[in-house]
Amino acid sequence: MEKTKKKSVLSLFSNQKYIVILVVILLAAIFMIASADFRKYTTFVTLLDMSYYYVLMGIGVAFPLITGGVDLSIGTGMVCYALVGGYLVRNAGVPVIVGILVALLFGIGIGALNGVLVAVMDLPAFLATLCTCMITRGLGSLLTFKSTVPWPTDKQPGGWFHTIFKITLANNTKIPLGFLWVIILTIIMAFVLKHTKFGRYVIAIGSNKEATILSGINVKFFHIMAYVVCGLFAGLAAIPYASAIPTIQPGTGAGVELDAIGGAIVGGVSATGGSGSIEGTFFGVYVICLLKVGLPFIGLQANWQQVITGAILIGTVMIDIVKKRRAVATGQAVA
Amino acid sequence: MKKKILAMVLSAAMAATMLAGCGGSSTASTAASTAASKAASTAASTAASTAASTAASKAASTAASTAASTAASTSGSSSDLLKGTEFEGVTAKGTYTFNVVVKSFQSTYWQAALKGMDQAVSELGSDKVSYTAQGPNSESDIADQVNMLNSAISAKPNGIALAACDAESVKDSLSQAMAAKLPVVLFDTGVAGAPDGSVAATIATDNSKAGQLAADKMHEILKDKITSATAQVRIGEINQDATATNIQQRGLGFINEMIKLVIADGKTVAVAGNEYYVNAAEGANGKEADANVVIEVAVPAQTTVDLCSTEASKIMSKSDTIGIFGSNQTSAEGVLAANSNLSVLSSDATKGMIAIGFDAGSTIKGAITDGTMAGAVTQSPLLMGYYCIYALTACANGSTIKDMPMDGYWYDSTNMSDPQISPNLYD
Repeated sequence: MEKTKKKSVLSLFSNQKYIVILVVILLAAIFMIASADFRKYTTFVTLLDMSYYYVLMGIGVAFPLITGGVDLSIGTGMVCYALVGGYLVRNAGVPVIVGILVALLFGIGIGALNGVLVAVMDLPAFLATLCTCMITRGLGSLLTFKSTVPWPTDKQPGGWFHTIFKITLANNTKIPLGFLWVIILTIIMAFVLKHTKFGRYVIAIGSNKEATILSGINVKFFHIMAYVVCGLFAGLAAIPYASAIPTIQPGTGAGVELDAIGGAIVGGVSATGGSGSIEGTFFGVYVICLLKVGLPFIGLQANWQQVITGAILIGTVMIDIVKKRRAVATGQAVA
Repeated sequence: MKKKILAMVLSAAMAATMLAGCGGSSTASTAASTAASKAASTAASTAASTAASTAASKAASTAASTAASTAASTSGSSSDLLKGTEFEGVTAKGTYTFNVVVKSFQSTYWQAALKGMDQAVSELGSDKVSYTAQGPNSESDIADQVNMLNSAISAKPNGIALAACDAESVKDSLSQAMAAKLPVVLFDTGVAGAPDGSVAATIATDNSKAGQLAADKMHEILKDKITSATAQVRIGEINQDATATNIQQRGLGFINEMIKLVIADGKTVAVAGNEYYVNAAEGANGKEADANVVIEVAVPAQTTVDLCSTEASKIMSKSDTIGIFGSNQTSAEGVLAANSNLSVLSSDATKGMIAIGFDAGSTIKGAITDGTMAGAVTQSPLLMGYYCIYALTACANGSTIKDMPMDGYWYDSTNMSDPQISPNLYD
C-alpha cells in the first residue's frame, strides 16, 4: 500500500520531463524576484524572441539523439542556411519566401548527407556531423564571398517574415506570435515521436538497433529520416535567427548546437539513445534560454554566467541520474 | 576498407574546409584596373626618391593626421591621398608579398579595409606588390589568430600587417617577427606594451579620442536630462571585449570623458559592471548605490551580435537608463537588435533613450537615417588599409616610418552625405 502511494507523487519526479518543468518555473521565479526589470513584459518578449531558434534546433536534434547519435552540424548549419538564403534575397533580388525555401531545402540536403554518412556508411555520428559542421561553416562563408548578410528589416520591403514571429501593435506593444508556432510544432513533433511509425522506429533504433533490424524494419531509411528531420529543423531555425539578428556573420554559429543538444539532454533525451520526449526538450531548451537572458539581468558578468549555466545543467541532469540509480538499487520500477 | 578510406577523405575535407572556413584569402590582383595602375605607376616614377621620403616623414608625421582627414574627402588619385603624408612618392623597389592578418571577417568593416588595400596595390602595381589576407572566424578566436600570425611569420613574407584581437597574446609572435627581421605594421588597433622595436608603425584611429568624441556628443544631447534629474540616471556602454587595445581605449575614452563632463555639471558619477573597465576608469567620484549618474559597462562572453544584444537588453530594460553607447559595429548592432523588442531608442532625448554607435554598416546607417540611433563615430577603414600597404612597401624598401594616428568622425542624419564623411560609410 505504502509503495504505491509514494509512487503516485514521487513517480512524477522520476521522469526527467517533469523535473525540467520544475527547474524552468524555479529559475523564472528566482529571476523575477531578484530583478525588477526581469518582470517587465518587454523582457519576456526578448527572452522568447531569442529562444525560437534554440527550441527549433532542439526539437530537430532530439531525433538523432534518440537514435543514439548526434548532430553537431546544426549550429553552423543554421547560420549557413540563413547566410545563403539572405544572400540570395539581398544580392540576387529573389523574394524573401524563396530565400526561406532555399534555407529549408539546404537544411534538408545537409540533413540527408548526415543521414547517409551515419546510417549507410556507418560512420560514427559524432565524426560525420563534426565534418559537416566544418563544411557548412566554410560553405556559408564561401557562398556569400565572405560578406555578412543582412535580411530585410521589418521596415524594408520583404520584411514581412518578421511578422511570423512578432507582431507590433499600434501602441508599440509586441506580441510574440512565434511562441505559438513553436508550441504547435512541439505538439506536432511530440505526437510524431510517440504515435507515428516513424517516431516509434526512431526510438527502437536508439534502444536496440540490432533487434530492430532483425524485426525486418528498414532501419537505414528511418535512421536517415531522423537526420533529415534534424536538418529540416535547422533550416527552420534559420528563419527566426535571421529575424532576431540584424546581420548574419559567416563563421559564427559554432557552439550554438551545444546549447540545443544540452537543452534536449536536460529535457530527458538520453545521451545514449532510446528514450526522450519532445516536450522535455522544449522545456530543457528554455532552461538554457532563461539562464542566458536572466543571468545578465541579475548582474552577473559573462564569465560567471557560463560557470553557473554549466553548474545548473549538471544539477538538473544529476537529479534524474540519482533517482534512476536509487530506483535500480531498491528494485523499484523505473518510469 | 571502404569505411577507412571514406573516413580519411572526410578528415582531409575537414582540414581543407577548416582552412577555407577559418579565414579567407584574397589576392590583391583581382582588384586592379589597368588604367588606374598605368596612371599610378607613371605618377610614382616621376616622384621623389627614398631620401626625400624619409625627410618628408620627419616633417609630415604631425601633419599626417590632418592631411589624412582632408584627403579623405577626395576620392581622387594616389598622389592626392598621399600628399603631405610620409608615404608620398613611395614606390615598390622590388616585388613584395605581404601577409595581412585581420581580426576576423565578421563585420563589413574589414571588407572596407581590404578595399583600401586593393586600391593601394593597384596604384603600386599588382605585379610588384601583392598580399594575402587571413582572419579567424570571430574576433574572440584569439588562439586561432595567434596560429595564423605564427604561420604568416614562418612563411617569411616581405612584411606583415596585423590587427590584433588580444594585445597580450601576440607579444611573443611580435618578438619572433623582430628576430626574423620581418617588418610588422599594426593597423586598426595597436598593441599596448609591444616589445620595443618589434612594430614598425601603428596605423589606427586614435581610439581614445574617438571614444571621447562619442561621450562629448552624447553629453551634448543628454546634458539637460543629467542636470535636471532628481533620481539616479544610467548610461550604458557595450564593449565587445576587454582584450583588444582599440576597444579598451575606446571604451575608456568614452567613460573617462563622460566622468569629466558629468563632474563639470556638478554631479557625482560611478562606474559599474565589467571589472576591467570599472578598475581602469579614472576620476569617478561616487558609489553605484547613490551616485547621480551610473555608467554601466557590459562585455559579453563572445564577440557576437546576439550576445551583445542580450547584454544591451539588460541595460536598456532598466527604467533609469537614458543613453547607451556601442563601441564598435558588432556591439552597436547588438544595441539595435535589443531595441527591436524594447523600442526605447530615439534621437530625441525627451522621447526616448539615446543610442550612439560606432563604425558603419548598413544596419547602423539605416538606424541613423530613420532616427532610431542618434549618431555614430566612424573610422576610415578604407584609408587604414590603403596606408597600411604603403607603410609595408616603405618598410620593405628599407625606410623607417612613423605611426599614423587617424581621426574618428561623428556622423548623424544631418551630415551622412558630406563629402568628407560619406566615403567612410561602408556597407
